[in-house]
Amino acid sequence: MQRRDFMRAVLAATVAPSAVLAQTPAGNQTPAPTPLHEGPPAPGPVPWMQGLDSTRLDHPAILSLEDFAHADLGFFNPDQMTALTRLCDLLMPPMNGNPGAKDAGVPEFLDFYVSESSNEVKSMYKAGLDTLNSRSQQQFQLPFSQVSASQADNLLRPLLSTWMPDHYPGGTQERFINAAHHDIRLATTNSQAWAEAAAKRRQAAHLEMYWSPVEPDVYGERAVLIDREMLNNRKMNQSAAN
Amino acid sequence: MKQETVDVLIIGSGHSGGMAAKILTEKGISCLMLNAGPIPDVDKDTTQKSTAELPYRGFRPPNRLNHVFQSNEFNANVWVDENEVPYTFDPEHPYNWVRVRLFGGRSLFWSRQSFRLSDYELKGKTHDGFGEDWPISLADLDPYYSRVEEIFRVTGQKNGLPQYPDGNFVPDTSTWTGSMQRFRQASEKMGIPCCKQRRAEGVGGLASSVNLLLPRAFESGKLKAMPNVVVRELSVDKATGLVNGAHFIDRLTRREMWVKARTVVLAAGTLESTRLLLNSNLANSSGVMGHYLIDQTYGVGVTCSVPEARGGRATPALMGGGALVPRFRNLQTKANGFLRGYAYNVSSHMGAIEPRCFAAYGEELQKKLDLYHGSGVSIGVMGEVLARYENHVRINKDVKDAWGIPALHIQTKYTDNEKNMSQDAVETSVALAESAGFEVLARNAEPNPPGYSIHELGTCRMGNDPKQSVLNRWNQSHDIKNLFVVDGSSFVSGGWQNPTMTILALAMRSSEYLAEQMRTRAV
Repeated sequence: MQRRDFMRAVLAATVAPSAVLAQTPAGNQTPAPTPLHEGPPAPGPVPWMQGLDSTRLDHPAILSLEDFAHADLGFFNPDQMTALTRLCDLLMPPMNGNPGAKDAGVPEFLDFYVSESSNEVKSMYKAGLDTLNSRSQQQFQLPFSQVSASQADNLLRPLLSTWMPDHYPGGTQERFINAAHHDIRLATTNSQAWAEAAAKRRQAAHLEMYWSPVEPDVYGERAVLIDREMLNNRKMNQSAAN
Repeated sequence: MKQETVDVLIIGSGHSGGMAAKILTEKGISCLMLNAGPIPDVDKDTTQKSTAELPYRGFRPPNRLNHVFQSNEFNANVWVDENEVPYTFDPEHPYNWVRVRLFGGRSLFWSRQSFRLSDYELKGKTHDGFGEDWPISLADLDPYYSRVEEIFRVTGQKNGLPQYPDGNFVPDTSTWTGSMQRFRQASEKMGIPCCKQRRAEGVGGLASSVNLLLPRAFESGKLKAMPNVVVRELSVDKATGLVNGAHFIDRLTRREMWVKARTVVLAAGTLESTRLLLNSNLANSSGVMGHYLIDQTYGVGVTCSVPEARGGRATPALMGGGALVPRFRNLQTKANGFLRGYAYNVSSHMGAIEPRCFAAYGEELQKKLDLYHGSGVSIGVMGEVLARYENHVRINKDVKDAWGIPALHIQTKYTDNEKNMSQDAVETSVALAESAGFEVLARNAEPNPPGYSIHELGTCRMGNDPKQSVLNRWNQSHDIKNLFVVDGSSFVSGGWQNPTMTILALAMRSSEYLAEQMRTRAV
């Protein structure tokens, strides 16, 4: 049995809670009353929903948010944001025709994403960026955003480690750098800018199965539709047999 | 209003509930199945998207699924939201409770690894003195395993190893790739068996309750189902002490309702079944309900590279395929520092190597990623967790879910046994990989938090002594004869094996026993 067929079988055998508890008495042939719509009528001559059944918006010019709009920044303070931007540029620069993290709007994305994350993640990022700045000041008398690539390498390389999924390396700053490295790379390769660069090279976009919220079939509409479909199939089979 | 009484009320629609429905309806018994979530419809509920289309760029949506490490933005909506159905734990000892409430439960999403328990697990106390033996042996389960393996179309090779019992397999005739052959030779050189993996092929790519167990039950006309009902508690006939139904809440309207039943089969998943029984204050004369929570250590392992496959030289003859190294510790000899054992799940692949495998960044990292592409081998460890009384769950009346039902508090932690075992597993896997000529790129000996394996077991363990166990050898409550619990909560020990085949075999065995008891009116 295919999955689709299974869904039909389940839905056909599925009952709403009240249906199990309240059975219609046998022999009651009274036709169902016309449904009553509660609430006031529309304040005018035309019913509210008139015309909507055939309405469709054709060819809408939809922009993705990050294509056009600017994000309000506010989670990281200015020093942290400039350090994060520099970190993005160093860890994931533009390469092989692909955008770098800065071009992909990763600093702005992380300002949003980290602000929504757990307190542990928020603290890790803020403290990690502050530590980068303070170590940079200590060693080079410059904020991290202004150090040279080789000076930055002196600060970053000792902190880089290999690690297994869900197990960032142990020390606080080491953990931050490796976690941020992972996030910066992922936010870059998963960005709209990266997808557009791939499209320019005629590379097919990588698609995955996205699950929408699986909302229940409140009024059993799918079951009704499927029942109707099954009935039609049965009629077709019968006429074919005849 | 007419109130029907159903013969058997089955709570849960995953593998165990599906098996109960299949067996009972085949015997002509009418069943009503309740499920806390909706019926998924892949056509309606999914679309193909790229990460660039998603607001969180594929990252896990924040603060809904902090303990579901398996989640990302694509699949976030299939897992139970931790805010909607919260649970509590000691912050020092977190627990990853990974749940699905869709119709079909977690049988929709599992790794298909299909193993039997051996008597090393079922009779563990006899072997090493720790814990309790199960009241049943492999010989008791063997015929049920065989039937389950046939339904789920388990592929495998027969190896004749007592710790890796053979089964009723669709023969696996695949050959070993070069990289896996080298690993196998290295393994055998160290006296460690290396076998083919065993997995459920299912039908049409799916090995779930919804396509292998439930269709026939529905076709029989003997099974009806109600999705979107959240069971609050079981009800009891005060005169007889038997369960006689369930009170539930319509998930959508929050309406409180109830159904009557002659018999109740709990199959809501280990911790949900136990939570329901604890909230119902039932079947716990032993006092051990909620205790002996088990799972398996996951997250421990290594990532390697096969040097000959680098620089674009990976071929299907060299790379790909996998191996399963069944438990080899504490069988005939005694390991230092831990009881029981672990298994390796080994896979060779021709895809990209993850950036985390290199301590580099920028262009230097990109060069390494390009060079190593197609040369990866991963070794994952699945380790046994000992069943301890102190690892337990209880009701936290101060926290309630979205339907006002008291939440579960989960109190569990790994001990030196699990930690020492993990350390041994990593050291041995590194030795094996290096002996095979692989370069070890990354390693980890620290298990993920308990629960991560999604193999939570125990808390209503079975046994012959009603003072030491909740269920008898037929998954039937010692206290209430018309109450059966057929999911993983009956486990006495967990072994290293994915428990799905055992849960299915136990549910089949228990359901046949129940049907016979109902036929003879003993229940």
